[in-house]
Amino acid sequence: MTLMRLTRACGVLLLSAGFSTVALAHNPMFECKEIPGEQIQCTGGFSDGSGAPGVTLDVIGYDETILLPGKLGQDSTLTFKKPAAEFYVLFDAGPGHVVEIDQADIQPQ
Amino acid sequence: MSKPAAATPPSPLRAFWLKWRFHINVLLLLVPLGFMPKYFADAALFRGDTGLGERVVGDVQVGPWSLKLAEFRNEGPRPDPAGPMKSFNAALCATCAEQVKATYLRIGKPRSLRAAGVIFFGTPYRMGAALPIPERTPVDAELWVTMEGWDGTTHQGSVPLSQASPATIAWLNKQGVKP
Repeated sequence: MTLMRLTRACGVLLLSAGFSTVALAHNPMFECKEIPGEQIQCTGGFSDGSGAPGVTLDVIGYDETILLPGKLGQDSTLTFKKPAAEFYVLFDAGPGHVVEIDQADIQPQ
Repeated sequence: MSKPAAATPPSPLRAFWLKWRFHINVLLLLVPLGFMPKYFADAALFRGDTGLGERVVGDVQVGPWSLKLAEFRNEGPRPDPAGPMKSFNAALCATCAEQVKATYLRIGKPRSLRAAGVIFFGTPYRMGAALPIPERTPVDAELWVTMEGWDGTTHQGSVPLSQASPATIAWLNKQGVKP
């Protein structure tokens, strides 16, 4: 009985040790590029290879006004028209899980 | 009637091997010994027995609060699919553990609380965060700490990156400035 419990406890410990490393290596990733027609296409995801469908993606002006609130589509991408004002793109998967891309860092085509 | 083939005597080296091979295998037990110093050093680092991290940066004042910052490892950023990542550990001051809800870390001053950077996770006495280091980080960059209290207030403080992590500065210099 005690041996069984010990084995189970060890099993759970091993499993959680295994999962903890997975949890650690789970950083948000995000990139944007300019595509024809004054459009910008952004793709989000996580460093464990998973996509980010439905994650919030806001285009925010330098004055902190949200120019374009959006969510990534089923293919983890979002395409929007390049705003006239200065902006940055914020991939927001929750507090502390954000990636910012400034307009200066978006490669022109 | 077939004669058994005359057995050629084995070479001295082979004879030695055949006689002692099982005893020599005991030496294999010595192999793990070579890895033990690193293993125990890592175990102590992970458990916190050797302190907050390999290199303690010192206290960073953040409004009415403060935190003790340390580099988890005294080395440059490690590669990650999401870009180079540098791990920092931190401990909140004794009185602020109850008051602070969240602590964030970012290179450069945050534009807003939403974009305050990576969040520290763990207990207030030993929190950890993996900070992405953009390849274009200037060597005079500042590391900004944003703290959000349970009372709704936010406070910010900063420490030069050169003070927080000389190893990261060395890494940036080695990389060269990217256009």
